[in-house]
Amino acid sequence: MSVAATFASPSSKAPSTASLAVMLLLPIALVNAVGFIIPVLNLARMSFNEALPGGGIGEALTLANWQSLVSDGFYLGLVVNSIGVSLLITLITLVLSYPIALYLHRSSGRWRTFLTVLVISPLLTSAVVRTYGWIAILSDQGPVVQTIAALGFTPPRLMFNLTGVIVGLSEILMPYMILALLAGFGRLDPRVEEAARTLGATPFRTFARVILPLTLPGIALGCLLCFVLSISSFITPKLMGGGRVFLLATEIYDQAIVTLNWPLAATLSMLVLIIFGAALGAYSRVLRAID
Amino acid sequence: MMHQKNFAAEASQGDPDAYLRLEGVSKTYGDFEAVRSLDLAIGKGELVALLGPSGCGKTTTLRMIAGLVPTSGGRITVGETDLTAVPPHGRDMGLVFQSYALFPHMTVARNVAFGLEMRSIPRGEIDRRVKEALAMVQLDKLAERRPRELSGGQQQRVALARALVVKPSILLLDEPLSNLDAKLRDEMRTQIRDIQQQVGITTVFVTHDQVEALSMCDRIVVMRNGRVEQIGTPVDVYERPATPFVASFVGRTIRLSGTANGDGAIDIGGDVIRSAAGLAPGPAEIMVRPHRIEVDWTGQAKTKDDVNRLSGVLCRITFVGDVIQYHVGIGDAEVIAEASTTGNQQLPAAGTPVTLSWRVEDTMAFGSGQ
Ligand SMILES: Nc1ncnc2c1ncn2[C@@H]1O[C@H](COP(=O)(O)OP(=O)(O)OP(=O)(O)O)[C@@H](O)[C@H]1O
Ligand SMILES: [Mg+2]
Repeated sequence: MSVAATFASPSSKAPSTASLAVMLLLPIALVNAVGFIIPVLNLARMSFNEALPGGGIGEALTLANWQSLVSDGFYLGLVVNSIGVSLLITLITLVLSYPIALYLHRSSGRWRTFLTVLVISPLLTSAVVRTYGWIAILSDQGPVVQTIAALGFTPPRLMFNLTGVIVGLSEILMPYMILALLAGFGRLDPRVEEAARTLGATPFRTFARVILPLTLPGIALGCLLCFVLSISSFITPKLMGGGRVFLLATEIYDQAIVTLNWPLAATLSMLVLIIFGAALGAYSRVLRAID
Repeated sequence: MMHQKNFAAEASQGDPDAYLRLEGVSKTYGDFEAVRSLDLAIGKGELVALLGPSGCGKTTTLRMIAGLVPTSGGRITVGETDLTAVPPHGRDMGLVFQSYALFPHMTVARNVAFGLEMRSIPRGEIDRRVKEALAMVQLDKLAERRPRELSGGQQQRVALARALVVKPSILLLDEPLSNLDAKLRDEMRTQIRDIQQQVGITTVFVTHDQVEALSMCDRIVVMRNGRVEQIGTPVDVYERPATPFVASFVGRTIRLSGTANGDGAIDIGGDVIRSAAGLAPGPAEIMVRPHRIEVDWTGQAKTKDDVNRLSGVLCRITFVGDVIQYHVGIGDAEVIAEASTTGNQQLPAAGTPVTLSWRVEDTMAFGSGQ
């Protein structure tokens, strides 16, 4: 009887599911509000403020910043260029990472652990260090250019231009791409591939008809991640572009720190945010189409 | 016993009608031998079971036939063609996996169409054959569903349709029924057997369920530790097991040890048991099927020439519904005898003396060499 009594009214003290959810979500909501939403709203407002000479921000509201984005061919070119370069980098990263991810997915035991550590280890070094590494390798005095020259060819310029930025960023983003691909490879069951083989599919057709479709979620996730990281990356284009490569992130830096035109920097930042939104939209549409 | 020679060798050489042939096929992983020099000859249209305990190499054998695992030695031929080095997509075999392995991103109809598309068959014919195949497994209504929207039994039938629709030369089934509940399993057993007969396709059926093997298959290959123990019809394997392992794995047995005296009699702690097997003198084992044992409580049963008798004491009774199992102590050993239930029987108490008897021809005896 006493047991029954203890269990009789447990619900009176327990919090309801709704209030529990609020309590659990509160910390992250607070952090997000203070660290993300308020600054972004601030930026949004600033993009409608007037830029005063000498770095001041006027109180008056104006559409001038947004108008200059649309009317000034330089900024339009910057946007198109940034998106184009980021898409190219994403594609290169995908092509380089996919075979590695597939191999990693199929390996097992210690070998897999070893390879995973190998893939992740670049993330343990800062992007600055890796960028300088690439500069050492690809600059005019570096081994690659020297070797090409020694073979008697006209040495190409591999550093302090777009080529350098693309090489550097692709390598830096590969670990992210590989991890995202692996996360999306869950549906890839070796038995399913074998089923395709026994039904008469050559290795190539097995890849095209079974492996590729089943890994599309991973591909979409990896591409979203790398596109977003690439379009917002700053250090690598700044260091490896040699001042000749103009991308959104470097321009925001220049406007904010060099020119001290904060409202224009804010406007460009909002534009990047809009591109993120579009990328996210495209991603969810792709996911829906896959399923 | 009469059937105590090597069945494997006999089957692979003697049979000119053999269609699928494995000659000395083996598979080693590192220094572990998963399959050891397997000889097997399967006739056209035959349904053969690979039966054995977990880890004995059934799946490995099946995957070698399908070409999914390379052999470490030996030859695999179908008809006149040597397939040993042919990749899986060139072998024209249908394989139904234990986990079904349906393509999760395709509808049921697309799953079934896959093999036909790989063979570049015209669209119209593909549609027609897919319809037929789905009708055969009674799934025509679910053609547009995705695999995850199907029950286990339905998925299994899709896998079967997908393998059969391409009219493969050989059908390979890897424990296709093990994920189903008992009732569905019974249904699917009949259905697979019917379809197999209807299409007349040569089939290798992997199972560790002896009832499945006995009830469905033309012949049974009993495997153990990567080796063939016996190949024979269900009746052969059940009634004339070649080794003690086969006797105890296929069907239930009671087991008694004794000493053979060389003239057909075996001495078990003073009692003498006769068997048809001409065992050489030495240690021997006797096995009997529990339901072939007659239980006598009166102590009056007449001694007959063709009947073995043992006296013991009732230890325990287990009621299993259809049958009652009497656990009887004979010397140090305990054996089980079965009797069918009648509904209003008086169950004897533990400690009651009892006489067990069974026919000499039901006595399976094995020498120590086996
Ligand atoms: N890739 C592998 N590497 C090493 N050993 C393996 C490998 N695949 C199978 N084996 C071993 O080979 C033996 C036979 O395996 P197999 O899968 O053929 O067994 P099985 O008879 O199908 O068993 P079950 O009834 O459990 O499915 C097992 O002991 C297994 O551990
Ligand atoms: Mg198996």
